[in-house]
Amino acid sequence: MTQAFRIENGGLINRDKKLSFKFNGKTYLGYEGDSLASALLANGVHLVGRSFKYHRPRGFFGAGVDEPYAVVQLYRNGETEPNIKATEQELFEGLEAKSVNCWPSVNFDIGAINNFLKIFLPAGFYYKTFMWPKSFWYRIYEPFIRKAAGLGVASTKHDKERYEHKYEYCDLLIAGSGPSGLAGAYAAAKNGAKVILAEDKSRFGGSLLTSDVNIGNQSGQDWAEGIIAELKTMPNVVVKNRSQIFGYYDHNMLVMSEKVSDHLPATKKYHPNKRLWYIRAKEVLISSGSIERPIVFGNNDTPGVMLSSAAKEYLKVYGVLVGIKPLVFTNNDSGYETAIEFKKHGVDTVVLDSRKNPESEIIDEAKSLGINIKNSYVVVAAQGYKKVKSADIASISEDKKKLGKIENIECDCICVSGFWTPTIHLASQSGNKTKFKEEIDAFVPGQSKQNEITLGSANGVFSLEETLKTSFKTGSELSKKITKKDNEIAIPNVVEKKSSQHDKFWCVPLPKGKNYKRFLDFQNDVAVSDVEIALREGYRSIEHVKRYTTLGMATDQGKTSNLNGLQLVSEIENKVVPAVGHTTFRPPYTPVSIGAIVGREVGKQSKPTRKSPMHSWHEKNNAVFVDAGVWLRPRYYRRGNENLFEASKREAKNVRTNVGVCDVTTLGKIDVKGPDAAELLNRVYTNAWLKLPVGKARYGVMLREDGIVMDDGTTTRISENHYHMTTTTAQAANVLSHLEYYLQLVWPELNVNVVSTTEQWAGAAIAGPKSRDLLQKLFPKLDVSNEGLPFMGYMEGDLSGVKARIFRISFSGELAYEVNVESDYGNFMWEKIMEVGEEFNIQPYGTEALSTLRIEMGHVAGSELDGRTIPFDNALEGLVSKKKDFIGKRSLQRSAFIAEDRQRIVGVVPLDKQTSIPEGSHLVKDDKAPLPNPKLGHISASCWSVEYDNPFSLAILKDGKNMIGQKLFAMSPLKNKVIPVEIVSSHYVDPKGERVRS
Amino acid sequence: MLYINCPHCGMRSQNEFSYGGDASVKRPELNKEVSDQEWDNFVYNRKSLRGKHLELWQHISGCRQWIKVERDTATHEIFRTFKADEEVA
Amino acid sequence: MQKYSIFNLVKNAFSNHENWDLAWKDPTPKEEYDVVIIGGGGHGLATAYYLAKEHNISKVAIIEKGWIGGGNVGRNTTIIRSNYMHDENGLFSEFGMDLWRKMSQDLNYNVMFSPRGIINLAHSDAQMNAYARRGNSMRLNGIDAVLLNREQVKEIIPMADFSENVRFPIFGGLMQPSAGTARHDAVAWGYARQADSMGVDIIQNCEVIGFDVSAGKIKGIRTSRGNIKAKKVGLCVAGSTNILAEKLNMTLPIETHLLQACVSEPIKPVLDNVVTFGAGHFYVSQSDKGEMVMGGDLDGYNSYAQRGNLPTLQHVLTEGIAMMPFLSKLKMLRTWGGIMDMSMDGSPIIDKTHIEGLYLNCGWCYGGFKATPASGWTFAHTIAQDRVHELNAGYNLNRFSTGHLIDEKGLGTKTWIS
Repeated sequence: MTQAFRIENGGLINRDKKLSFKFNGKTYLGYEGDSLASALLANGVHLVGRSFKYHRPRGFFGAGVDEPYAVVQLYRNGETEPNIKATEQELFEGLEAKSVNCWPSVNFDIGAINNFLKIFLPAGFYYKTFMWPKSFWYRIYEPFIRKAAGLGVASTKHDKERYEHKYEYCDLLIAGSGPSGLAGAYAAAKNGAKVILAEDKSRFGGSLLTSDVNIGNQSGQDWAEGIIAELKTMPNVVVKNRSQIFGYYDHNMLVMSEKVSDHLPATKKYHPNKRLWYIRAKEVLISSGSIERPIVFGNNDTPGVMLSSAAKEYLKVYGVLVGIKPLVFTNNDSGYETAIEFKKHGVDTVVLDSRKNPESEIIDEAKSLGINIKNSYVVVAAQGYKKVKSADIASISEDKKKLGKIENIECDCICVSGFWTPTIHLASQSGNKTKFKEEIDAFVPGQSKQNEITLGSANGVFSLEETLKTSFKTGSELSKKITKKDNEIAIPNVVEKKSSQHDKFWCVPLPKGKNYKRFLDFQNDVAVSDVEIALREGYRSIEHVKRYTTLGMATDQGKTSNLNGLQLVSEIENKVVPAVGHTTFRPPYTPVSIGAIVGREVGKQSKPTRKSPMHSWHEKNNAVFVDAGVWLRPRYYRRGNENLFEASKREAKNVRTNVGVCDVTTLGKIDVKGPDAAELLNRVYTNAWLKLPVGKARYGVMLREDGIVMDDGTTTRISENHYHMTTTTAQAANVLSHLEYYLQLVWPELNVNVVSTTEQWAGAAIAGPKSRDLLQKLFPKLDVSNEGLPFMGYMEGDLSGVKARIFRISFSGELAYEVNVESDYGNFMWEKIMEVGEEFNIQPYGTEALSTLRIEMGHVAGSELDGRTIPFDNALEGLVSKKKDFIGKRSLQRSAFIAEDRQRIVGVVPLDKQTSIPEGSHLVKDDKAPLPNPKLGHISASCWSVEYDNPFSLAILKDGKNMIGQKLFAMSPLKNKVIPVEIVSSHYVDPKGERVRS
Repeated sequence: MLYINCPHCGMRSQNEFSYGGDASVKRPELNKEVSDQEWDNFVYNRKSLRGKHLELWQHISGCRQWIKVERDTATHEIFRTFKADEEVA
Repeated sequence: MQKYSIFNLVKNAFSNHENWDLAWKDPTPKEEYDVVIIGGGGHGLATAYYLAKEHNISKVAIIEKGWIGGGNVGRNTTIIRSNYMHDENGLFSEFGMDLWRKMSQDLNYNVMFSPRGIINLAHSDAQMNAYARRGNSMRLNGIDAVLLNREQVKEIIPMADFSENVRFPIFGGLMQPSAGTARHDAVAWGYARQADSMGVDIIQNCEVIGFDVSAGKIKGIRTSRGNIKAKKVGLCVAGSTNILAEKLNMTLPIETHLLQACVSEPIKPVLDNVVTFGAGHFYVSQSDKGEMVMGGDLDGYNSYAQRGNLPTLQHVLTEGIAMMPFLSKLKMLRTWGGIMDMSMDGSPIIDKTHIEGLYLNCGWCYGGFKATPASGWTFAHTIAQDRVHELNAGYNLNRFSTGHLIDEKGLGTKTWIS
């Protein structure tokens, strides 16, 4: 198909490279350098989508980030992405896009029936209806509304693209490469400052790409090109296009999203799709420019109605005529610039200016070109459904209240300019309290909050000469502060046409008897009448208006609608605009890819995976792993067709009868050193530590200050001033911080140092009646007899040349030892143990068997120490010293903690000795009681007792101390189970603890 | 992201630190009788006001030192930072 | 009061919607009220409504510093549930669920309560057990709960990560089918409209600057719009509780923290339920408008700034993609921050205080929105009867001294850790 609306020459596109693309199934041609929008317009395609609520036909309104309508579904390299702005999407060979929010097609959309029902669908209509009958909201109305809402379709496939993060520091970060950004960057760069210049579009230059100005005897565009070229050669400057600074966060941290691959048919190998830059800047220059705002009139959403600056950009940058019979409707001189540009390409326009007698150089030029200008004239309404066909126009009285006789003139597009709105988002995000500037009817940044300064049209300054002057100066001064250099820059001569004052006019009144929709927010279909209703019903705060009407809440975040909304509220409420205030600007300035925000931490890399040094051995020996925090631990070692239950039973049984070995590397380990180490332990643990001899270990429980058990573990006195503390896997990091907190802040007088040694030591627990025999063979020179190495004893040994630490401690309740060697020797140790242990029928055991062993013994673990229990609850009150003070002791006096019927750990056995009790069941007196059925306690852990060959559970039970022997019901309604049980002691096996001491 | 001046290491981004709450909370001395009210004030009760807030952070991915930070809870501005044993004037 | 209905909507359409009444008026403060509720958020508005409706007390003023509904009721992720383990929380919230179910009809304002079900994903057997403990507790309290296995979860939310390339595979989940979402602003506006119609004065742009207390009794409040006498005063200002408490010389077991949330651009319906990630802290649902509504951890330091930082959202969204990889292709459209009352056991406080006639409603942590009706109902009862109702008896201030804590997560006093 021909590009009928492409002018023969001109524009910044590469006419040597044609690109073919598809829109709604139809193939078109465009050029390299086109946006999807410009390429479609070149082919005369204006209808791109349907609006959110009424499904009215929508075209292109802008040419960039402010675009409210042209949201499409993009297909690229076999993947699809919803909600892409056609104005921001660069064209590439093979691009495919489709309209969204329409069915069956954008041309014929069933949803458009809403347009005929619109009188019944004012702002907030859904709050007033759909309430009857009660169940219909969720079942009937809501699914219907949900289906109608939403824009594009999300693929539920995994994203194949990769996203990267980069952290940068710079002296001066500049947001926007228009005249002020270029000048500021150049001046700062010349002073040797480290500068990052970011431009969201693919081309640098901002307004210089489209304005008719002369800088230093060059066109604005050439001047910009020259500056950029020079900046790119400077080692202290980073120049980035396709890079949007979207957030200004605390302490001068700004975040930028760089599109690396979106403009290409496919992402290159080893390239990311996008790169997110976290930039910590010393100074920030915001040169984000301004966005033209519309004037509101009837049916102003018809395809073909667009911003005059967009029409000019399509022409100057892309060589595309958005119409051949344009009507320009303006309240300021910008509209004339567009008309002049059309005229230069032989297209005659009619300019309607709401002003009575404007005079300026620009207007003079327009007049001299013979452009038809109608003063005190406005567009009352656009006519045409899927495309503008004509416009109803009329003269307007000076007070802008009365319209003259309505005339209809033919046109194929309406280019509208209601003056300019500074882009103050970044300044506002930084905390800057913005102020209203009467002369421009818009907000500009106020006092700087962080190290930010806003210049150029973003600051409401529309004179190029002034902008360049202040920007060069600011660039110099900001950089001088940092680099102490002051290289003077000659400010170039500027030739620009002077413009005259704009008209404070933003909305055309409705003619008598007409009820045109006059849209404020185009994507969300919010019209003047909606705001009127909101105010009439008492939703008067601007936040109420916004929420009730959804004004400014579409994907364009109200870039073209917010200010007109404010004007309307201020007019109806009879308040000045600043008194109405505006809603807060929050990041992101434009929607940001969630993939880019997340970066590389996806899939298996979403969290780190920690593995013990013996991991590969476990893998080779059919270990099935379980996540323990970020650690991976063997849960069981599968033999043949065994399942979890069978394998863990076998492993546990082998520990009770022979010997087993378990990888305990993941346990937290902390070296506690110093003359006051014992004193620290004495304060941290609930039991006494001052008299622990060298070469002995002790079990300890530590509390939080609120009396709740924080962690437990054994600590061993390695030498006079050196203790080796172990923690649970889960609490390792917290315990270290906890110790550091007390040492550094609360008891700095204690001479102790703590350091994590978790990763320095590999640990193997050897448990079972034959463990001593095995240990003896591992360490033939040591006396490991019950006398030589008694329970809770410690010694050091030599494992075939490797230094080892041997602890006689037991979690399984069997005779057991733990051997530690330096991590690098972990695998050696493990293999040695397996090799030597063969004659004792050794088997490795995983966490599941370990659980069984500890549950049978009534040893508590994470499911009992759940952040809600005190020592008494865990039958650990024997370890609570009455004599000394320790962390959390005072809290144990609280009435609930010393209540007679305080909860306590018990054992639970099903009466039938057959039915396993699901963990998480609750104990009740009466299984048939009406709900809510009072719960007496819960099953914290269950196992199949290998000792007695029947199920056994632990429970935390109210008044557990006095419940032994009682019969209760364990109920798991989730699993439909009611199990009659008997309460027994939690120490089910070897209650006297003889085995560990044998 | 906050930018915190660790008195031991210099300016570091917040993700190297972990938060530790109100630094004005003083633990009652060991072995000293304290009333229920005093104990609750230590364990639970917090002023947590708008404006200047002296708080603890630990440079957990750095020097592991606990530090005190004077920060504005309304603006997040950081005024001063102190070592653990430094008196805050 | 004009009734909202389809008939009235059609009727008004023919007069250009010019004859709708004010949803609420804009009165000037009177000299004295029976009850003054400080805070025009969801809880304050609901309290006023139930004071008038259930206790016939309508000489009530709501004093709001800014605009009603502007606090956390206007900046949350709209989730409504009663999937709690502890009886105090479970029974209180389930009472609230009943109020939610009939709220639209009760208020004659469509709050769009949508019982789409919440699924808490589990990523290990240990977590399945912990969820079973909670789910069984719910069931024994008469609250609906279902334990789902991996296959059942996959059937409901196939877009969650069931692939091989996953760090924490999904083992199953706990579902409360009757949980859901509602239109948050509508809740505030609906309560406001009804309260107003029953004679409650809604006073906006009125800041409380002090309290008049004499002989241990509340006498009134001082505001930016003058002094107002009151027999009883209720504080409903979660997020600003500590600031007002200071004016009363009270120090509370509450810290003020910042919680961010965000939405994606609107897409066609893809997710019907509320889903939470089990290997971290992330939750997501899809709004009627099509936006994916997402939230997670606190920013993690005391704050009154309604602005957070990106790394927190990065962390939250990382967990989001870990749970539902397709989120990666969406774009984050809008973010916002809310100020939370984080109590020291994670549960709220609805109680009398040591000052006669002064009542406290605070400490809602993450869970204030869903509690709106039950909180208003019980707080109204507590104020009107000058005694707590059995539903909020557990939410007393004294529990921190007695040790009767209600700690769902077992995290204790480090409120900023989630």
